[in-house]
Amino acid sequence: MNELAANRKIPIIKIKDFLIVSIQVDMHDRLAIELQAQILEELSRTGAKGVLIDISVLEMVDSFIGRMLSGMASMASIMDAAVVIVGMQPAVAITLVELGLEMPGVDTALNMENGIAMLEKRLESQSELYKPNGA
Amino acid sequence: MTAAYAVKDLKLRVEKIEDVLAAVAAGDKDVRVNSETEDDFSGVEFAIDLLIDDLMDELDQKEKTQKEMEKKLATIQQQQQTIRQQQDDLLELSSPVTKVWDNILILPVIGTLDSRRAQIMMENLLDKIVQTGCTYAILDITGVPTIDTQVANHLLKTVTAARLLGGECIISGISPAIAQTIVHLGIDLSSINTKATMQEAMKTAFLSNNHKSSELNHDEEESPREMK
Amino acid sequence: MFESANVVENKQIEGFSIESELDIVKARQLVRNIAKQLHMGIVDQTRITTAVSELFRNMFQYAGGGEVLVESGVHNGRDAVIVTCIDHGPGIADLDSAMKDGYTSGKGMGFGLPGAKRLVDEFQIDSRVNEGTTVRVIKWI
Repeated sequence: MNELAANRKIPIIKIKDFLIVSIQVDMHDRLAIELQAQILEELSRTGAKGVLIDISVLEMVDSFIGRMLSGMASMASIMDAAVVIVGMQPAVAITLVELGLEMPGVDTALNMENGIAMLEKRLESQSELYKPNGA
Repeated sequence: MTAAYAVKDLKLRVEKIEDVLAAVAAGDKDVRVNSETEDDFSGVEFAIDLLIDDLMDELDQKEKTQKEMEKKLATIQQQQQTIRQQQDDLLELSSPVTKVWDNILILPVIGTLDSRRAQIMMENLLDKIVQTGCTYAILDITGVPTIDTQVANHLLKTVTAARLLGGECIISGISPAIAQTIVHLGIDLSSINTKATMQEAMKTAFLSNNHKSSELNHDEEESPREMK
Repeated sequence: MFESANVVENKQIEGFSIESELDIVKARQLVRNIAKQLHMGIVDQTRITTAVSELFRNMFQYAGGGEVLVESGVHNGRDAVIVTCIDHGPGIADLDSAMKDGYTSGKGMGFGLPGAKRLVDEFQIDSRVNEGTTVRVIKWI
């Protein structure tokens, strides 16, 4: 059910098959890297198939944080998990585009509901592949 | 007798005048000769004091005018800022974003599209996407005959930013002239979702929308989302 | 190394040093707050904050830190926020390449400068090898 990862500076919550991370603070670089490591650790520990990272409170995503997020998506996919960034603010999106920072391999959703739907759909289509006789 | 007396002090008095003038040149506004003697030379001393008085008056006047001009300049700059703000507000009002269906926004653009307007439209549209949670936004530029490269870049930026947010922006009604501008800019048209008419764009959005929702409801008892 | 910012009527001046990562976070909050106070539009606020974040990080990573000056006032006839970063680090040997997109000096320095330049209205840089670098960015209100 719900697992609250204790002793984490940024809480990572598990709901169903997914991890939910809500970034509420302006992170310095080291904290961002630590978060990346924590998330991967939790993925490994729980076997979760997806991570939803809520950045709706973040007023700024610079090149370092941006690269941390895309890095996380790549690393998570190696562990057979998908990362969805949720709740990006319009000003942040515009600035990222102007910075020239594309985030390849990073899925995004407008809100948590859409994000979860996206991950569930992905899981569903993945499991379809393994259904015997294509039923 | 009088002549000799006058000459004796004359050297001193001339030196005093020289000192006073030097002090004025150095910036002393209050110094004057202030002669207390009354003879043939005191007329000159008095005249010099009057000259200095006039000079100081003129300087004061100049300073006052300078200050007034600076004040006026500040006021004008403030007014310019206000005008700019009002123009932006007008631009925002002239490009309303409307929600149609469940999950689709429409922004019809009519008339000249300049860089400033495109910028405001972009911010407006992205804000609305986030506020309403609508995944699809249709930017219809049927009513726009031409755009320059800056505006084309803004459009591209809008599409890319919308995608980053988790939405999708479709541009409809691109005129041949605009298509040329975009291609000449080296923008990869396949990176933007475009449709010839607003109707086609709406159809695409609607179909994608329903496809999504019907997949979601695949295993559920509920009937597929109703059309409003 | 730098001409003065030509600011008339300085409304506000703040100076501080960057010596740690936490300083970077504090510094960009400060810039954001100043821009906010001056009623800069929200997207522009984000642009200038992001731009200086790149500069502060560069300064910290490649020069071990430095000084920052944040000014606001009238610059060339417009209300603006001006941020100047001064370090006494190794300097940038090839400025032209550093200002080109995607340039890496082996440590991923690429994004910082060209990216920041795109986000601001005026960008000035002066760098001398073994002496240091000064970067100034200006954003109109």
